[in-house]
Amino acid sequence: MPRKLLCTPHEHAVSRRQFFGAAGASALGLSGLATPAIAEKLRKERRQVLFIWLDGGMSQLESWDPKPNTPFGGPLRAIPTSVPGIHISETLEHSAKVMKHLAIVRSVSTQDNSHSAGVDRIQRGDPKNRGVVYPFFGSAVSKLVGTNDSGLPPYISVKPMSGGFIYKDAGFLGPKYGALALGDGKPPENLLRPPELNAEADEERNELRKLLDANYSERRRKEYTEANTHAFEMAAQLQKKIELFDPSKLPQKDKDRYGSHDLGRHLLLARRLLEEGVTFVKVTSYGWDSHGDHFNQTLSQHPKFDKPFAAMIEDLNDRGMLDNVLVIACAEFGRTPRINGHIGRDHWPEAWSVCMAGRGIKRGVVAGKTNDKGTEVASDPVDVGGLFHTWYRALGINPDEVEFRNGGQPLPIAHEDMKPVSEVLA
Amino acid sequence: MQPKTAPAANTPKEIGKPFNPGVQIARIRYSPDGNTLCAAAFDSSVKRWDASTNEPAELPPITGHNGWVSDIAATHSTFFSVDSWGRLTATDIAAKEPKTLWTVEAAHNGWARAIAVSADGSQLATCGKDGFIRLWNPKDGKKLGELDIKYDLLSIAFSPKGTSVLAGDLFGLVRECDISAGKVLRTYEAKELHHIDRVQDVGGVKCLMLSTDGKILFAAGGEPKTGGFVQATPLLIAFDRESGKRLGQFKGTKDSEGYVTDMAWHPEGFVIGSTSGQPGQGKFFFWKPGAADASFLGGKLPNCHSVALHPSGTKVAVSATNANSSGNGRVKGTGGDYPANSSPIQVWSVPQSPAG
Repeated sequence: MPRKLLCTPHEHAVSRRQFFGAAGASALGLSGLATPAIAEKLRKERRQVLFIWLDGGMSQLESWDPKPNTPFGGPLRAIPTSVPGIHISETLEHSAKVMKHLAIVRSVSTQDNSHSAGVDRIQRGDPKNRGVVYPFFGSAVSKLVGTNDSGLPPYISVKPMSGGFIYKDAGFLGPKYGALALGDGKPPENLLRPPELNAEADEERNELRKLLDANYSERRRKEYTEANTHAFEMAAQLQKKIELFDPSKLPQKDKDRYGSHDLGRHLLLARRLLEEGVTFVKVTSYGWDSHGDHFNQTLSQHPKFDKPFAAMIEDLNDRGMLDNVLVIACAEFGRTPRINGHIGRDHWPEAWSVCMAGRGIKRGVVAGKTNDKGTEVASDPVDVGGLFHTWYRALGINPDEVEFRNGGQPLPIAHEDMKPVSEVLA
Repeated sequence: MQPKTAPAANTPKEIGKPFNPGVQIARIRYSPDGNTLCAAAFDSSVKRWDASTNEPAELPPITGHNGWVSDIAATHSTFFSVDSWGRLTATDIAAKEPKTLWTVEAAHNGWARAIAVSADGSQLATCGKDGFIRLWNPKDGKKLGELDIKYDLLSIAFSPKGTSVLAGDLFGLVRECDISAGKVLRTYEAKELHHIDRVQDVGGVKCLMLSTDGKILFAAGGEPKTGGFVQATPLLIAFDRESGKRLGQFKGTKDSEGYVTDMAWHPEGFVIGSTSGQPGQGKFFFWKPGAADASFLGGKLPNCHSVALHPSGTKVAVSATNANSSGNGRVKGTGGDYPANSSPIQVWSVPQSPAG
């Protein structure tokens, strides 16, 4: 039985004029609009997210919550930032300069200490168990916010290695809210029509595919054929924006500022996707699980986050986009205060940090704290449900008023027993 | 890295029981007279023991550092120590209470990785994360010269005459430098010691040394397979210093054996080294250049991080990490306490001609 996947109507309280304006903008691109004022208004009303996922777990002690010269503080120093009184690790020297735009929550305390459970539960908001699989934050936002005016898929994931359509992110929303993953930041293979195939033949093929899909869907779950159709539509959308993936179009200065490594290149692509209006861009970096030789790893790896992250914050701010784009740097947990025998840090969900910036977020603040040794949260702990409340509110979505509907089942968009971190909300 | 079965008489034996400094240790070294054992500790101190007997007695530590003390070196009654915040300190340890002779607060910008003292005691050399090699006057801490290599430098040694300094970097390259002339004289490639894993540079020349006559250069670390957990197979490469040719190597057999973390050159012509174990057990070993295998391989100690050869050549101290310290970051004590790990130190005998 087809399921209705609805959210509360007022979340889509857009006037008919605005809708058609947005549709027009989508079709033409913002630059094609007759009135720049409308284009600017649409741009200003965008709600977007940049979600940076540091897979494996970044150490809070070598990033946002350093404890120098303490038993578990490690070898590194803390440095002052652009906000008097706030210090972060010396591994984040560029982020220190843009601290005036950032908000750090140092009192994150979550439930999972394994990657297999933590990765999903964090990104699904760890809601109460209702017998359904909740969507990842990217799928949820693409459902609740929509496609903006980009004419591009609402949820794009930029990640190392292979790409494809990741339907599992969507949970009960249905596969079409999954992520389009750009493996190594490249467009899907065979995206462009082969030169030997002319436009008419291509159109005929697509019509045939649609017919076969329709026949197939009569005997299968509708959402899977919808997802298949959606994937083709996304490919068609990307075909129109193929220049996004051409690094030769980028100024060398930007390439230098973001770096030539995976994370730098992928964040620079993310900036371009956000500029185009993509609703949710997730950038994943792997290899943060530093159980051994942790401090040398930190010294090698953190700067490769720090420099392009700070460049991103600067660029979004300079373009006026930081008022629209919610930026989140997060992982499945932090790392243990105790240094193990391999000079590594293990998994530590008990007390860690998340950094955010942009839309709906106060600038230059720290919320919550850990104790002197960094072993426990010393203020109200914030579970991921609280983070989801915070992020939704930052996007102008009130979890007390908006809910998902899975068939007839109303489902809260964030854990109903938790509350936002009000200290970081603008 | 399969151990040969050594004759019992040629096998090192534990001397006394391990003693526990109560903190993790980066490096251990004996004073030149052999009467003091010092340990660079993760608690910003240099621990000291009276090592004149087989039951070392703890002495007041050297304090005043920040972060971790990363390396130590000695001339007679003076110990030199560097830390991860860049500080270089000279301490007179002749008296019971250590006395600071001088300090350079920012010898390096950030982590000072290693320190060496020239054979005649007239120069100190340090290297750091900031990419600099710097020379210092041991008497007053005055800077004598510097060379900007621009890469993270992990290890350092003087040539026997003190006319050049050798430094190993993160990327598996050893440079022999004339600091006063501002020149790199030659390089030795040990690229196997480095690996790029995603956005992480892994490994590097973790330790290096020269034979006493200066003819053989030993560069060591591991052959990394991954980042993150850092699986690595120990690897020690011997170079003919003059020609740069490889003379041979000692390599572990498993990528769970980790890095070669420290080495000492025994006057009888063999290397004593330690390996970290990652995630397996660490080892300490005896290896003669040219031999296919270690003549001794001890595997009782988890996660070894340093070896210190006594000046007599008859005993060696090995620092390891407490039992069950592999991936024990989350474990709490029965009372809910959360103690730090520590590095027990075991002294072993070095039998005559152990390398056969």
